Amino acid sequence: MRWKLWLLMAPALLWLLAIFAAPMLHYAWLSTQAETVLTGLQPRPVGAEQWLRLWNDARFWQDTWQTLRFSAVSVLLEMVLGLAMALLLHQPLRGRGALRTISLLPWALPTTVMALGWRWIFNDPYGPINQLLQGLGLSGVPFLSDPAITWLAAVWADTWKTTPFVALLLLAGLQNIPADLYEAAALEGAGAWQSLRRITLPLLTPYLLIALLFRLAQALGVFDLIQVLTGGGPAGSTESLALYAYLNAMRFLDFGYSATVMLGSFAVLLVVAALAGLAFQWSRTTQAEELR
Amino acid sequence: MPRRWPLLLVGLMTGVLLGLWGLAANAVERVNVLMPAPFAEATADLVAAFNRDHPGIELSVTRGPLETEAVSDLAISSLLLGSSPYDLLLMDVTWTPKYAAAGWLEPLEGWLGEDALADLAPGAELGNAFAGHLWRFPLVADMGLLYWRTDLMQAPPRTPAELEAISRRLQAAGQVPWGYVWEGKQYEGLSCVYVEMLRGFGGRWLEQEQPELNSAAAVQATAWLRHLVEAGITPPTVANMAEPEALQAFQAGDAAFMRNWPYAWAELNKPGSPLRGKVGITTMVSETGEPHAATQGSWGLALLAGSRHKAAAVEALRYLTSVEAQKQLNLRWGYTPTRLSLFNDPELLAANPVLAELKLALSDAVLRPLTPIYAQLSDLLYRELNSVITGGIQPEPAMEQLQGNSERLLITAGGQR
Repeated sequence: MRWKLWLLMAPALLWLLAIFAAPMLHYAWLSTQAETVLTGLQPRPVGAEQWLRLWNDARFWQDTWQTLRFSAVSVLLEMVLGLAMALLLHQPLRGRGALRTISLLPWALPTTVMALGWRWIFNDPYGPINQLLQGLGLSGVPFLSDPAITWLAAVWADTWKTTPFVALLLLAGLQNIPADLYEAAALEGAGAWQSLRRITLPLLTPYLLIALLFRLAQALGVFDLIQVLTGGGPAGSTESLALYAYLNAMRFLDFGYSATVMLGSFAVLLVVAALAGLAFQWSRTTQAEELR
Repeated sequence: MPRRWPLLLVGLMTGVLLGLWGLAANAVERVNVLMPAPFAEATADLVAAFNRDHPGIELSVTRGPLETEAVSDLAISSLLLGSSPYDLLLMDVTWTPKYAAAGWLEPLEGWLGEDALADLAPGAELGNAFAGHLWRFPLVADMGLLYWRTDLMQAPPRTPAELEAISRRLQAAGQVPWGYVWEGKQYEGLSCVYVEMLRGFGGRWLEQEQPELNSAAAVQATAWLRHLVEAGITPPTVANMAEPEALQAFQAGDAAFMRNWPYAWAELNKPGSPLRGKVGITTMVSETGEPHAATQGSWGLALLAGSRHKAAAVEALRYLTSVEAQKQLNLRWGYTPTRLSLFNDPELLAANPVLAELKLALSDAVLRPLTPIYAQLSDLLYRELNSVITGGIQPEPAMEQLQGNSERLLITAGGQR
């Protein structure tokens, strides 16, 4: 009987293998080759040389740190703001339908267009924010030319765009919580804060988790926003792992190393996902203990 | 079965027509050229004229993106897939060795002759040949220029110290908030700015394939760029300035000097521009005794090795880069020609008063290193320089670090040869 099970699953498994495992295996092979413009774009086996190069590449580790920093801060902001937005959109307000549609607009905008828009808004000194600040007699903010500030500008642009996505997911979750739970809690004397903590958040957890996973995976692979908004600058302070892999492949034609960088960032993603999973397990057990 | 006859006849005729159409389509050779959008627009009339004169060839232009590197990405994506839809590619000067080493280009000397570059203006011939072959024919010359305000000073500065002194005087008098704007963003433009200063201080980027970026001159050039920001002559936002941002600041009257390419001259002298008739151009400042260098940034046509219509493509290349075509491009669009005779053409001189200065700048042209790994070398350079400009690291340790990184890159790349 068991083989029938596998037989029935075979098409799906083959499909997964073709679109996921095959490219990964190809990259794994490519990361043991030198395939650059100087080898005439022909692969030449070099063993573990590319991996050694990755390990000793300060730029890879700097980009890893910058990608993690960008992802952690922007995803955290998006989760908090997204939850607030979802709670607001869940309220029976007048014009709620219109409000929900409008709040989705940033997410519907192509990232490139959005990033160009923010590049203009953040322009120093001719962008609207700095013009406003100067009009008030304040000094301008070098949003895109100060390594200490620019990564936050990127975080902000990303948060602006993807918070509605988190809100949408969470709103779906909110609509699945039966209203009588809140009524019962209210009868027992629970306040708004208690219902949020004891009913909304626990029942929303699966949705929070999905939103978190989606956003983390996307943020760790951030490319287009950075490429358009800052090009990785100033002083390399906003370069992400994906941008580095792109530079190696498309600009430097160093495909062996690009594959290595790509696999390296995939390893980083796996570690982060494992840590997030552990944290989630831990929060579940502590929550269960609390309920007991 | 007489009823089937009409059907058979229709089928037969369709077949014959299709065959004829196929023959006709084969008779017309299709040549496709990829160009950045502005060039596609500027050459539209020439392409139409070419197609009128050449019934056997159908030349079409693919409008590439506006940004230089985005055009390269598009071309490379198609070339990597093996069968590129393009026959000709309008290339930036820095791509040539990379594309040639990748085996994507067809040598041109066999088609155009060994002396193909003989009647080009001095400076325009640079950067088209690599490793003993001609890979590209220049269509438009481009070089770094120093723009100065003729209404604010008698003569432009010739040394870094003079530039600083004039800036300080004008800033102190409240005539301009800033002295000098240039391209300081972390991108290729910063390397172009640096190459000019490096030469102006007497240094070299590579000498016999070895980097010399920790030389005294290289450190001086870097220190001067940082000094401009620290002294308040250049705004700190220069760290995010590309050509459009520098032009925006200069055109708004916020700076007395700007480093930019020839296109800015037409922009600044457009009807309605606040600086119309108040701008002069010259070459970059340099220390006494050192050359006033202009980074060469020309665009040229290259023939792709995978083209199936090479003869027709070369015909189009010849036409688009001809004296007559370049003359039109200059008269209508302000593009700087590469043919020497055009710099003495009375009609062009009348229409384009800065042509003499452009020729002078072109003769001082400095090439960025001709190597297939130029993109990596330049990436190291502009990242490090941008760190210095934003105050993240001092000029001297920065250049030591850059020298080490550049040496390592050349060794790694050499080992893979």
